[in-house]
Amino acid sequence: MKQSRLFFSTDSNRLFLPWMSMLMGFIAVLILAAGMSAYDSITNWQRVVSGSLTVQIPTYTEAGDPRGEVVNREIETALTILRSSTGVKGATVLSDSQMTELMIPWLGEGAAVSELPLPKLIDVMVDSDHYPDMAQLKTDLAAQVPSAVLDSHRLRLEPLLRLSSGGIKLIGFILILLALTASFTVIYATRTSLTAHEHIISLIHMMGANDWFITRQYAARNFNLTFMGSFFGLLLALPIMAGVSFLIHGATLDFIWNPALDIKQWIVLGCVPVGLALLAFVTTLKTVSDYLKRFL
Amino acid sequence: MSTQTKLNAPVAEFNGVSFRYDGGPEILKDIQFTLSPGSFHFMTGESGAGKTSLLSLLYLYHLPTKGRVRLFGYPVDEMARLDRAKLRRQIGVVFQDFRLLNHLTAFDNVALPLRIAGVKESEIRRHVSELLAWVGLENQMKTHPPELSGGEQQRVAIARAVINRPTLLLADEPTGNVDDAMAKRLLHLFLELNKLGTTVVIATHNEGLIRHFGFPRLHLDKGHLSVVPQNQYKEMASKLFNRGGAQ
Repeated sequence: MKQSRLFFSTDSNRLFLPWMSMLMGFIAVLILAAGMSAYDSITNWQRVVSGSLTVQIPTYTEAGDPRGEVVNREIETALTILRSSTGVKGATVLSDSQMTELMIPWLGEGAAVSELPLPKLIDVMVDSDHYPDMAQLKTDLAAQVPSAVLDSHRLRLEPLLRLSSGGIKLIGFILILLALTASFTVIYATRTSLTAHEHIISLIHMMGANDWFITRQYAARNFNLTFMGSFFGLLLALPIMAGVSFLIHGATLDFIWNPALDIKQWIVLGCVPVGLALLAFVTTLKTVSDYLKRFL
Repeated sequence: MSTQTKLNAPVAEFNGVSFRYDGGPEILKDIQFTLSPGSFHFMTGESGAGKTSLLSLLYLYHLPTKGRVRLFGYPVDEMARLDRAKLRRQIGVVFQDFRLLNHLTAFDNVALPLRIAGVKESEIRRHVSELLAWVGLENQMKTHPPELSGGEQQRVAIARAVINRPTLLLADEPTGNVDDAMAKRLLHLFLELNKLGTTVVIATHNEGLIRHFGFPRLHLDKGHLSVVPQNQYKEMASKLFNRGGAQ
């Protein structure tokens, strides 16, 4: 006879706990996946932002007339200033094909980029550990290339980075809430079961069963039920994740948010059912131990 | 603290024990008695006299409200929780309402104390089969309690109480649902255990059995206990029965 049959033959928690765990597992996997990919994207933005600057040299006047040869001279001057500045590791002018590639997300493939009044862009690689003195650089450029516009991505993306890291904190908070909800669910289910089986527990206690004999059966059973439920929750979340990934790729938004996960992140998601089951195990141990104190 | 029975210690000692349920009236009043190892007692008294409460103190379900209970030489109120659990394994109890687990077979019900004690399955199979055969239920080992008659359920309950050869056996009306022949057969089982050293206390209203076996009795009257020794009881019973006053 399996020990677990001592209590649980007619227990409604057999269904309640797996269903609730499935829901929790499903939500936890989706939130965790979103959080991890968002974290990756932010890290990527930060890496890009902290490692580069852009200098724009307009190719047309404000009136819309081509500026001609002066553009090339300004580019050369700007490159000289940039390459001689402290903290700048390198500066290169983006080619027309690179410009076209940059515009694809906004204009789509095959757009006639060369006909647009786009400025020339100088990609400046900076040492993120010794970031250049932006005010000085601006002054130097303004003195010799007044038309140049120095664009620090860091300044522009900072509010977005703040928003994103706030989002990650929110995801962490939601995960904590989810864990608390899972714990309360297990406490409720366990107490219901304990009340329903009080006569059995009392009898077994009177026969000399120690607390561990009873708690381990409840804990092992709730571990199994929670693992089973949350594993199905994980399986259910996979097609949703695939769908979101497909939509993001389709909308070519993956340069903003890349939902692809690496192997470590997949392992973390795979640990969600085990984590929830362990949480159920520990919560059950505590709940049953507290309950058994009513017996002498 | 080890829970091995202390050598020659009384199985149970009650000193000035009173007991009441939460906020209720006093059920047991200043109880004083000792159960020697290997003794056999009947416990008698009207319904509501406190028999079940006294038994519950003996099988460690409650602690006394006043006074001290020592079991196997140990003061129960000072014992650690784990030690109390070990002590309970030395006590077999037959409940008036049987308290069988309906979702388990007769075999599994009887095997329960052995499983709690961590006995090997091969030994459990052998002992339980033998005992169920002895109480005449060899063909109903796989039957669940709801499918058994009242008498059969009672025999399962008794088998469960004695399967681990308890040091102290407590039985609350153990023969209430069986015929006289089976009642005597079950009492002989208790006697066999008693000969092997088990201390037995049987709460019963069955005067026929009490007369037949003639053991001393613990008589409860409105919460007060008096111990009637064997000979004195026989004399008293003889007088009562001669007058036709006892059933």
